[in-house]
Amino acid sequence: MNLHQLLRRHWLLAAVSIIAAFFSFDALWIPVKAELAQHLLERAWLRTLEGEPDAKPWPWADTRAVAILEVPRLGMREIVLEGSSGRNLAFGPTLVNTGGFNDTSDRVLSGHRDTHFKFLKDLKNGDLLRLRTSKEIRDYRVSWQEAVDSREQQLLIDDSVDRLTLLTCYPFDAATAGGPLRWVVTALPES
Amino acid sequence: MPESLKTTTNSKRPQHGSIRDELEKQAWIQNPGLAHRMSKWQLNEDHRNTSWHQSARRIKSWQDRTLLTVIAILIVLFVIRTETAIADDQVWGLEMKSDAGVFTELAVNTDIQLAITGLVARVEITQQFSNHGSHWAEGVYRFPLPEGAAVDRMRIKVGERLLEGEIQEKESARLTYQKAKEAGQTATIVEQHRRNQFETRLANIGPGEVIEITIGYLQNVSYSDFTYSLRLPMTFTPRWEPGRSQTQNQVGVTSSAPLLVPANSGSGHQLKLHASLISSVQFAAIESRYHDVDIRQVEDGYTIELLNPDEVSDRDFELSWTPSLQSRPSASLTTFNDGESVYAQLMLAPPLADSITPQAREVILVIDTSGSMEGASLPQAKAALQHALESLSSDDYFNLLQFNSETELLFEESVPVTKSSLYVARNFISGLQANGGTDMAPALKAALSLPEVSQLMRQVVFITDGAVGNEHELLQRVAGDLGDSRMFTVAIGHAPNSWFMRKAAEIGRGSYVHIGKPDEVAQQMSALWGRIRLPALTDICVEWGDSAEYYPEIIPDLYAGEPLWLLARLPSEPTMIGLCGDLNGADWNLNVNGWDAARSGPAEDNLAKLWARKKIEALEDSLMFGADPELTRLNITGLALDYGLLTRHTSLVAVDKTPRRKHGQPQAMTNVPGLLPAGSPARLAGYPNTATGWLAQLLLSVFVLLLATSMLLFSSSHLPMTKVANFGCKTSFRELIRDFRAW
Repeated sequence: MNLHQLLRRHWLLAAVSIIAAFFSFDALWIPVKAELAQHLLERAWLRTLEGEPDAKPWPWADTRAVAILEVPRLGMREIVLEGSSGRNLAFGPTLVNTGGFNDTSDRVLSGHRDTHFKFLKDLKNGDLLRLRTSKEIRDYRVSWQEAVDSREQQLLIDDSVDRLTLLTCYPFDAATAGGPLRWVVTALPES
Repeated sequence: MPESLKTTTNSKRPQHGSIRDELEKQAWIQNPGLAHRMSKWQLNEDHRNTSWHQSARRIKSWQDRTLLTVIAILIVLFVIRTETAIADDQVWGLEMKSDAGVFTELAVNTDIQLAITGLVARVEITQQFSNHGSHWAEGVYRFPLPEGAAVDRMRIKVGERLLEGEIQEKESARLTYQKAKEAGQTATIVEQHRRNQFETRLANIGPGEVIEITIGYLQNVSYSDFTYSLRLPMTFTPRWEPGRSQTQNQVGVTSSAPLLVPANSGSGHQLKLHASLISSVQFAAIESRYHDVDIRQVEDGYTIELLNPDEVSDRDFELSWTPSLQSRPSASLTTFNDGESVYAQLMLAPPLADSITPQAREVILVIDTSGSMEGASLPQAKAALQHALESLSSDDYFNLLQFNSETELLFEESVPVTKSSLYVARNFISGLQANGGTDMAPALKAALSLPEVSQLMRQVVFITDGAVGNEHELLQRVAGDLGDSRMFTVAIGHAPNSWFMRKAAEIGRGSYVHIGKPDEVAQQMSALWGRIRLPALTDICVEWGDSAEYYPEIIPDLYAGEPLWLLARLPSEPTMIGLCGDLNGADWNLNVNGWDAARSGPAEDNLAKLWARKKIEALEDSLMFGADPELTRLNITGLALDYGLLTRHTSLVAVDKTPRRKHGQPQAMTNVPGLLPAGSPARLAGYPNTATGWLAQLLLSVFVLLLATSMLLFSSSHLPMTKVANFGCKTSFRELIRDFRAW
């Protein structure tokens, strides 16, 4: 029996295989895209540092790189994007504050728990977080980590406070997305 | 071959096959093992079939199921994928615009009645829930009450009916509430979540309906520097206090700060307040600190009302009143006799500040230089230390100690204040750097076991962010090693472990200061130094003349302007209460005559309730010293039920007998937010969605892919095939749908 006959006889199985293949690639595309975007963003970031005002990572991008977050102990380096939308989150951690880094001292970054912010579960209190914006380099130390319930709590942005907050979904190994819990890492600046 | 097979299967099918299949499938879902046994039983029964047919049939049901399962997985994957994509399209900014509509569905307005008699305030808070929506609603509202409030009453008004609430053990109260809620009865429950955070739940509020809940509590007024004051918290400071949770739910998630919205969001929160100050004496001044009020003198005292009719509950209410010079109390004793015991409240004002002169003392400054002090905290702490050095007088002795993972003492033993010792100390302070862990125990030991300087009172000032986990052990150490020293704690930064710091100061008969912002350091620290350099009344003892159970158990030193305040339970009316102490090195004595006591009427059991509240607090604290949690819970529950008090283990619950919501009418739960405090710089936002779930999707779809492909290959190499194969060619689409339905 050749392939043609096989497909004609077992069209349902064939269809299932094709759809499953699609979903596999669709799922695989998420981490690949996350990784790929970071490379393109890295290049855009260099152009930003060279003075290009609105360096786009790819021609149709509607976001831009605004900072680099580094965790020396874990060897992590992530390019942070402006605007905390689902689309941007696919490419990198994003700044939740509207209006960019320069307007706020209470900075909140969010990232996906299964791509860019996967490392959050390995953070320890006292870990160094280095944030490089186009204007400055700030060092923060992780001081608190906790889980909160997003149905019952709000994100508080208080510019009388100087700190860096990293947000991601919780629990880290939950199978599906969209759960109500969030993991919140609070870091305070080093003098 | 497939043709013949098909006839066999089909001929078997019509009568009872489909029912059996159905049964078997259900069993499969519930219990795979059972399904296996069933198919065996089925095989035995089908003795007419050949063995080949039997195995073909087994393969058929196995493959059918697999295929259908696989399709189901794919559909689930598709749904999840779509939902994630929809959620991703939302942009999470700083305004909760999308949710603002939800908030206005259910509004809560507050009406406060306040009656102050002597040192006790009776407060009644009426929360008016209005359902503006078109559905039945359950409202959840978190609100603050002052720490130490003795909550004892609750009343609910549904239409014209008034229902009194009762105190029940927490779990049974929840059960009562849950049952009533499901039965469609209007019901309410008030619970305590944290020391100052309470929650009202009100079930079955009809569309367009207004229901009122009145919560009553007792509170002691404060008295210091000859001024009485009373503060009613109205809203929560939206300080993010990471890691400071006191309650945890089953997933280990911090139980929720209350939701807050800005005052201009049209969410209700109107505030009305009426206070009556019952007194026969004239007051020199009555002031409301944050609100404009209308004050009138009436027959039995004063009444106070808010001037602005559109006031909202976005800031605390604070009332203070000062008696005229001749009516300042120096000691006040009130008793209440319930037939079994006598409850007594004793308030004693300390001698005036200008009548005492500074006294030489030994000051030991302990500073935390662990890694967590890095950032803004250490500079604040250093400034505080420099202030401390400035406040020392030439007769004082002092020493400095810094600790992180290691403990470092500046001088072997405390030294007198001289130019050179101050110079060394200043250099030591400016050279401090934050590093390493927080090992507080050795530092406490070192500070408390320094060789004593003869005759001098030792004051240990502990400056830290209190980021410690072993509070029990540390408090035990403080209690054990303290001796005659006094301990003052200064917390630095936004999220200190204030419970620990406050308790350490309580045990150490000192005081606790929290400095949240850098610009508060100078003012707060000089206030502290100014107060503690004047030795007030120390080593206070109280002789009740009988076996008394009184709180606080550890009597603090009385610094200028602070009163001594005791609540006691005695077996009989006190005849004479003897007080003794040490004032400036001399003995001090005072006798309070029991016959002078003001007696409250038999119906006014306020003192009994306030005493019980104090005892409950002491029991809660005893947990920190290794008290058995279960025993403590039972003790607290027993006390709370006896005295009718709301605690963390007992709740107030009220149920309307008549069910009103019909079965089948839906009810939505709404978290009613509080108001952001006025002038708060904070902004609020929802949490973004931060998971893709790609790994689970990948694993599932790869699993499906492998399964489907292998079946495909299997069917090509092992012909003839069963019905699975027929799905593809001979079986109609309609039959597929029918099978799917049956499954």
